Amino acid sequence: MNGFALTLSPVFPIGVIGLLLSLGLAAVGALYRLNREKLGKKRALILAMLRMAAVVLILVCALNPARAVRQEQTVLPAVAVLVDMSATMGQPVADGKATRLDQARALLSGGSSPLLPALKERFRVDVYGLADAARPLAADELAGLTAGGNKADVGQALTALGGRHAAALLLSDGNVGWRNAPAQAVPVITVPMGNTAAYRDILIKAIKAPSLAFRGREAVIDVTIKSYGYAGLTLPVILKDSGKLLTAKDVRLDASPAEVTTSLTFIPDSVGRKNITVTVPRQAGENLTGNNAVDFSIKIIRDKTRILMVSGTPSVNYRFMRRAFKSDPSIDLLSFVILRTPSDILNVPTHEQSLIPFPVETLFTKELAGFDLVIFDNFNYSLYLRPEYLENLQQFVKEGGGFAVIGGPNLFNEGRDGMTPIAELLPARLGAEKFYRRDSPVGVRLSPSGAWHPIMQIRDEFKKDNPEQKRFWQEMPPLDGINLMDAKRSAAVLIESADGIPWPILTVSPHGNGRVLLLATDYAWKWYMGMVAAERGGQPYLRLFHRMVRWLAKDPDLDPVQITLPETGVVAGREVDVRIALQGEDPAGVPETAIGASVFDPAGVKIASKLKPLPEAGAYQVGFPTKTEGIYRLMVETPAGPQEASLIVAGPQERLDAAPDHDILKKIADATGGKYTAPGDGLLRAIEEYTRKAEERFVEEKRVPLWANPVVMAAILGFLSLEWFLRRRWGLS
Amino acid sequence: MISRRKFIARTLGNVAGWLIAGARPSLGALYPHFFFSQLKYRGGEWDPNPTYAGAVVEELELRTSIDALRERRVIEVSDPTLFYTPFLYMVGRYEFEPFTDTERRILKRFLTFGGFLLAEDTVGAGGFGFDRTFRREIAQILPEYPLERLPPDHSVYQSFYLVGSIAGRLKTTPYLEGITINNWTPVIYSQNDLSGAWSKDKYGKWVHECVPGGDLQRKVAFKIGINIIVYSLTADYKTDLIHHPFIKRRQNL
Repeated sequence: MNGFALTLSPVFPIGVIGLLLSLGLAAVGALYRLNREKLGKKRALILAMLRMAAVVLILVCALNPARAVRQEQTVLPAVAVLVDMSATMGQPVADGKATRLDQARALLSGGSSPLLPALKERFRVDVYGLADAARPLAADELAGLTAGGNKADVGQALTALGGRHAAALLLSDGNVGWRNAPAQAVPVITVPMGNTAAYRDILIKAIKAPSLAFRGREAVIDVTIKSYGYAGLTLPVILKDSGKLLTAKDVRLDASPAEVTTSLTFIPDSVGRKNITVTVPRQAGENLTGNNAVDFSIKIIRDKTRILMVSGTPSVNYRFMRRAFKSDPSIDLLSFVILRTPSDILNVPTHEQSLIPFPVETLFTKELAGFDLVIFDNFNYSLYLRPEYLENLQQFVKEGGGFAVIGGPNLFNEGRDGMTPIAELLPARLGAEKFYRRDSPVGVRLSPSGAWHPIMQIRDEFKKDNPEQKRFWQEMPPLDGINLMDAKRSAAVLIESADGIPWPILTVSPHGNGRVLLLATDYAWKWYMGMVAAERGGQPYLRLFHRMVRWLAKDPDLDPVQITLPETGVVAGREVDVRIALQGEDPAGVPETAIGASVFDPAGVKIASKLKPLPEAGAYQVGFPTKTEGIYRLMVETPAGPQEASLIVAGPQERLDAAPDHDILKKIADATGGKYTAPGDGLLRAIEEYTRKAEERFVEEKRVPLWANPVVMAAILGFLSLEWFLRRRWGLS
Repeated sequence: MISRRKFIARTLGNVAGWLIAGARPSLGALYPHFFFSQLKYRGGEWDPNPTYAGAVVEELELRTSIDALRERRVIEVSDPTLFYTPFLYMVGRYEFEPFTDTERRILKRFLTFGGFLLAEDTVGAGGFGFDRTFRREIAQILPEYPLERLPPDHSVYQSFYLVGSIAGRLKTTPYLEGITINNWTPVIYSQNDLSGAWSKDKYGKWVHECVPGGDLQRKVAFKIGINIIVYSLTADYKTDLIHHPFIKRRQNL
């Protein structure tokens, strides 16, 4: 309905305006009467008329008269077009050429009758891309759109749109998130993309694996395989540890689609973080192959540290070490004490003595790998171990085992076997002087390396070069016997003799992947009894031996370098920062040039080596890009030895189920009161049907104030000015 | 080949080390892994068999791999080196003066935290003389732990020899007694006069006859002596699982 009308909107109550008008008229009447006597009837009437005209005009303005113009308007309904652009939309529809996103693009803007221009003629159209979340798309963006990103939640997207639209059009393959219709949901017309019948794929859908497993105990990995288009196929599921086959199991895919869960078991044989890969072989015709493998890691820990200790003779030192090891429930000790040597004469038949044969062959061939740590305690091994057993022992350490030698007069065949493989292993070599000294007791002191080494942190307050720690060792009772050896250049001396020549007493070093330790005395037990004599308890001795074992057995908490990797899973494409912190060295004594880090990508190519110092002493950071999925290896070199860590980077297709899921589109349409419809001519009509109810008409009214113009103001001023002029002319003041 | 400079430095260092180390409590040089430290106490007769050590240590060295010293060492409870004695030996015939409270505290700490004591009554008369005083004193030193007969499968009977019978110079009690704390027996008590059976005079002749078994009984005394010494150095080593089948098989023969 169009037209116009005059309206009044008084600025004061109408009574007040009437009163003012009355007062004005009364004043004009009084003025006329006064002037009539002086100027005559005619002139007084002119002045009164002019004054009255000004008063009336002012009061008319107070009534606020306006001209109201009415005009009827029609508003086009708004429609949201949601184009799914998540990764699965990059899959081919059927023939291997056009993707599902291409299919959506063609529907909107391709062909002879594109949908988008037709929509724009009838509706206000907002186009959104849907991957991770809804994102408005510019008009020219649709043509260059590529598939990528995670599937978005449609409910959240509708909430974000805020109910501003009459309806939404969703073009998707159904790989979207959906729970319930949100409060702001508008009817959603869903249009399926992709072809469910033509899709063929086998993927590892889920892995159920423990984050922690025990070495030597069976670990179970549950693998769920999903398949499309391979009914009747039997294929193997393969479990590998850094490329080494652990186990494999066949599964049969009975139907299509099919979902099968199978359990794979393996027994971890070493501790540390294992990079496990589960794969299923690629099949001909698969749409996706990047989802045929999943990498994950499991931390393997030892339920017990298995120690093989061979003592060359019964001794107090053996008894106290045994006491230390037995006091730790995480240690499983197998010890052999050589109670008699071949030169000792047995005076009784075998059944009257308790000696058992030393199963040296079994221990140093088949069983050796089952131990974490081998200890020779004052053991003249050359009498019992053939050279090949010693080589086995050397190999055992190279492959990651721990080896400790406790000193005494019997060691190294009383000093005569300096060049055996054992001597090569040890962190110290025979000195030029006599091999073993028991002629005068020697005190000990902590070396500069010892102050920082994790083994020596036997009390919490000993952290970081505490003077208390030095005093603790200076107060230890002297040792009655020590082996006189020279530390190798690659070794770290933790404790040395304090009286006279600083002979190394406790020396450690890495060897291959393993670690070795030399305690060059058979009187360490005096440290225990010295503490007892001083009424300070024996705990420091026990902790020292426990920490020696943990360090030798490569307990990660006692590693010389702590490497901190990103905690959550990393997807290829991200920049990753890794923190490296020294804990076995005095940072002040380690120049930056002595620390090196190298990062290798899954193909073994070195991609980063630059260390960035962090504000904290001894801490560094190395950053690197992850362009491809796979296992990235980090090698750190420090004076305390090398340290290795690995990071699993997942690929964008890992665990990706890209099969079209048109059922979920039907659910979305049902839940929002919309419609599931295939692309075609009926689509536009369906949209119109859902938007018709929302079409809005309204009357627009425009109001133009009549007094608010210069003519009225000029008229008021004109009347008052003319009155004033005539009064002056006619001789009135 | 050592350089002259290194040789002089090391020699001077060793001399300095010897001088400095002498200031701290230590048994000093040349004490090997095993030696007898005999406790000298007040009253009674603390040393009834002064020549026992040589023969039993000679036997120990002949039969085992243990590095031992034939001379005994005499020590008092108040000696600060008590805690560095691997094997404390206490023997007597008669009642002796009670330990002081300080001595009891020292002995308690020594025995609770790793020390070892072999005590012997050479008379073998239960309830009299040394036996009565020792039982009273040890009950005051370790009141929480009773002195009990050691079971036949105790490690001390299997530590080197498989010992079936118990005897010394006498054969009055067919068992050893002991105080056991957490699988370790720091106190072993004998009433058969083991050291009497081990004693030789300066001419190499046995000081005492073993009654009633003669030399066969003396052999048993030496076996028990060696077993106790090996036990003091290896604790319950023979209880490890790996020994079980061998020991069982031999005991069933």
